[in-house]
Amino acid sequence: MTTSGAPLAGVRIADFTIHAAGPFCTHLLSQLGAECIKIESSTRLDAFRKPHAVYGRMTAATFDQVSANKLSVRLNLKQPEAIALARKLVAISDIAAESFRPGVVKRLGLDFESLQQVKHDIVMLSLSSCGQTGPDSGFAGYAPLFGAWGGLGAMSGYSDGPPVEMRHVMDHSAGLHAALATVAALNQRRRSGQAQYVDLAAREVASAMIGDALVLASQGVPPERPGNSSPDMAPHGVYATARPDRWLTLAIRDDAQWASFLEVLGVQNEDSRFHTASGRLAHRVQLDEKVEAWLAARNADETAEQLQQAGVSAHVSWDMEDVAGDPHLQARGAVVPVSGPGIPERMVVGAPSRFSETTNVGIRRLTPALGQDEDYVFGELLQLSSAQRRDLEAREVIC
Amino acid sequence: MQQLAGSVRAGDLPLAGCRVIERSRSVAAAYAGRLLAAMGAEVTMLEPEGGSPLRQAAPLLPDGESGLFAYLAVGKRSQVCDLANDSGRRQLDEALSKTDIFIDDTPVKERDALDLTAESVARRHPHLIHVSVLPFGASGPKADWEGEEVNLIHASGEGYLLPNGLTAERFPDRPPLKIYGHFANYQGGAMAVLSALSAWWAAPTVGGQYVDVSVQDAALAVGCFALQRLGDGSLEHRNTRSFRYGGVFETRTGHIELLTLEDRQWASLVELLGHPEWSQDPALMDPLERSRRGAEINQHIREWMAQHDADDVVQRAQKLGVPVGKYRLPEEVFHGEQERARNLFAPATLSNGKEAEILLAPFQFHLSPLQGGGRVPAVGEHGGMES
Repeated sequence: MTTSGAPLAGVRIADFTIHAAGPFCTHLLSQLGAECIKIESSTRLDAFRKPHAVYGRMTAATFDQVSANKLSVRLNLKQPEAIALARKLVAISDIAAESFRPGVVKRLGLDFESLQQVKHDIVMLSLSSCGQTGPDSGFAGYAPLFGAWGGLGAMSGYSDGPPVEMRHVMDHSAGLHAALATVAALNQRRRSGQAQYVDLAAREVASAMIGDALVLASQGVPPERPGNSSPDMAPHGVYATARPDRWLTLAIRDDAQWASFLEVLGVQNEDSRFHTASGRLAHRVQLDEKVEAWLAARNADETAEQLQQAGVSAHVSWDMEDVAGDPHLQARGAVVPVSGPGIPERMVVGAPSRFSETTNVGIRRLTPALGQDEDYVFGELLQLSSAQRRDLEAREVIC
Repeated sequence: MQQLAGSVRAGDLPLAGCRVIERSRSVAAAYAGRLLAAMGAEVTMLEPEGGSPLRQAAPLLPDGESGLFAYLAVGKRSQVCDLANDSGRRQLDEALSKTDIFIDDTPVKERDALDLTAESVARRHPHLIHVSVLPFGASGPKADWEGEEVNLIHASGEGYLLPNGLTAERFPDRPPLKIYGHFANYQGGAMAVLSALSAWWAAPTVGGQYVDVSVQDAALAVGCFALQRLGDGSLEHRNTRSFRYGGVFETRTGHIELLTLEDRQWASLVELLGHPEWSQDPALMDPLERSRRGAEINQHIREWMAQHDADDVVQRAQKLGVPVGKYRLPEEVFHGEQERARNLFAPATLSNGKEAEILLAPFQFHLSPLQGGGRVPAVGEHGGMES
């Protein structure tokens, strides 16, 4: 696998992360060119290697986005010799990343202080639910809990309904923020020559998504849950169209867009309450009834195109078939086809952004088989002989 | 360790010495600058006469100051720069000659007239990391499309998939529901920072470069599992992607979230519930069977939760290793013991002169704690570009 021509070419990651948030972080870094060595074990399979019944997946995943691009080696971290090998891997890496519950890496001897002893300028990332410090640091959680703790869940929802569960986007948003903080630390290391320890709490990422509401809270002003409406724009929301479950999203900023909207729809507004932006905002409920009536018989896709041609912010509420088939996303390489042994062609998420010079960014290889890269990692990088590796396998250090 | 912030010199911050120029009218571009500023970069917003439109964006404080702008602008500098005239463009060029990263969300169709195309900027400033942040990116058939948050969260596919669980169950006929605020734009801003800092890392080797970031791409990236599910043969829908059991539950004192993915967590949940008779069915030892009988399990859990208090449930559950969290309101987050222990909020001065505390950053650097604080600058507080 070559990553020359990628922005993070030459950066190596010892990746101990599991599940979704941490692996998405290192997956992004691998898309940007870092060599990412995933350290896992048959004794404790990562989520994608087994059924995920609560989510409705009854078998292991054949393609797992967040482990794509990575090299896989097996180390049974319950064994001291495996820990020693893990530390050797860290010694030849730039970044060590983990997402165990706080306290676990200390127990294993893979905590920041221990890793600094084998690599004086290591950049270490710990990604957890609640962070490495504080009274809740031991709390276990998943994406919906991050959203709940962080306040994003309570701020999302219909004004007359319960809070809303955040799903994998919350995990991956935590991973994205972890990735940018890690690259900031890398840049800092180049300047300082020093190690750095990045501590990311996923629930704090959820709080960062309501940073504006928290400013109000700091002034004793209780923020409101707006649902699909906007305090700045009307009409604004998600509207039914002729085809059931084919929704049109609409956000009208000003009078010019309102005039264009009416023109595209070929309707006259004779209600004086809606002549100004402030009037439309003040009577948004009545306005929405009118807009709903105007859009009810229209084709959502054609209307979105027409509105965009007229400079109005509109888009159809897309399902994943729309996303996978979109010429725009494909032209950008944001979705790309992949296929492999036992994996018929499918569309997956590709390059996170487009670079003019370091263009070698994106998916290079699919989900690794467990331990498939041990010849390179254990043989070439750690210089273990075949006999040594066989012995370590026999004693379930490598397994 | 963030409490050591006061004793750390500015030069120790992760991005000390990094100079950033930001032209933003979108939350995505402004959030990118905000994250860079929080990590120690010197970020200067170039605002039009009269200020950024974000200064009027909801939610507003009672005196009309924007809570959103305060969050996005604290710690930045503000200069007025009008690119409609030659002197403004000269001012910009002078600033860019001393800048490492330029974040810009000028629409593609306006760039030619302002001398802000990728080629033109690269010719004048070959050392520069020039990051374009637009709703649909700067290339591709929809590069000129307009996009507000509600459009972008749905263009990425996540909007269609919300709400799930209890909300979807209660309101099955309502339209899909967006996530609060500017979730998609925040992903775009975060992706812009990741891309900018990756390009900066490569700069000693390749020099400056142009990076094209799209909010739609970034929101799709964090929603990649739904596309993965499509590849597995399953087109997700908000009414069917709910967790088979677990989810949002109403207690006597608010809502909680409960999610058990591991067998040991299920066993602990049964213990939390007091080993009720229904849970002793041996068939429920099988996670696949639990998944099939999720609705029945949830009904039992709902009845139990309705008789208990949220904080008590959370404390007991977490002690047993059951992932449970309370749905907290912003004021609970702001005053939260965990947040206070981690110094998540830093003192700041609003542009109206009032003191506030603003979320610093959702990550910590233990060896050089972030400092936060500072002011929400007034328009042009740091002068014109030449000052």
